Amino acid sequence: MLSKAHIFDKLALPLLVVGGVLVTVAFVLAFTVAPLVSGEAVSSGFLEIDGHFITNKLLLSQKIFYFHMPVAVVSMAALLFTAIYSILFLKTRESSYDLRARLATEVSLVFVLMTMVSGELWERYEWGVWWTWEPRLTTYFILMLLVVGYFIVRNAVSDPERRAVYSSVLGIIIFIDVPICFMVTRLIPSSVHPVIFRTDSGLPPPMLIPLLMALVGFGCIAFALYRQRLRAEQLRERVEALKIKLDEATDPGRE
Amino acid sequence: MDPIQAEIYSTVLTAAPYVIAAYALMWLVLLIYIIFGSRSLKKTEQQLAALEEAVAQREDRP
Repeated sequence: MLSKAHIFDKLALPLLVVGGVLVTVAFVLAFTVAPLVSGEAVSSGFLEIDGHFITNKLLLSQKIFYFHMPVAVVSMAALLFTAIYSILFLKTRESSYDLRARLATEVSLVFVLMTMVSGELWERYEWGVWWTWEPRLTTYFILMLLVVGYFIVRNAVSDPERRAVYSSVLGIIIFIDVPICFMVTRLIPSSVHPVIFRTDSGLPPPMLIPLLMALVGFGCIAFALYRQRLRAEQLRERVEALKIKLDEATDPGRE
Repeated sequence: MDPIQAEIYSTVLTAAPYVIAAYALMWLVLLIYIIFGSRSLKKTEQQLAALEEAVAQREDRP
């Protein structure tokens, strides 16, 4: 009978493909089916397009949102797994949980970078600045610094046991920033980061469908990448064990 | 071009480089990680196969 780990490993590649297809379709829909959103009003008059009266400037820059928001959500979801595995490590002291927490954080870092890059370009165009201390930006920036700090801590501590304990504690602390980052637009309303996850998001289906497809697609990709990295690390552990075995066989007196 | 139409679409062309750059950089970050992950897995699989062969040869030796 196949183990759960074996099934997950087998699922990794199909999920990567499914994720890639979903994200590609979402990308196409975002630029073909999803309408352009309205910006500031034009100085005078209107234009009739397909029976609709257009009285505002149309914003292409908003198209960044179709990937920006899903990758941000996936980065936060990956940190949930970091926290879960960190707690499990602190409870059991099993190194496999520490490995899983590290890889979940690694995947999260990739998605954090994607979020920051896309957000920065939107901000540069819309506001003409590379950075501003807006609440969501600030809390997410802190999140990014904590994630980077996680890897700095890991590299700074040489003792595996201490390294795992320190990074597990930090992994839990990082996750504390996730709900703060998620809720900040509800606590301090901002026109830049609208509240999307609610019963009525205000998004019409042509905009909501590509957004949700990208969200599911990036979720699949993140899971597949995590499994791929986990498999590589588990094999690396086997390689190290075999090297020791070979060394002992070559020189039986060596410890 | 009709001046109203020109004003309505005035931000589209200027925003295009930023939108293209945002999507291109997001794909690039993801692609780099996918390549890094795949290469790391492949390299480890090759190392493991070579080591397993070496261990098997050693065990077969009288």
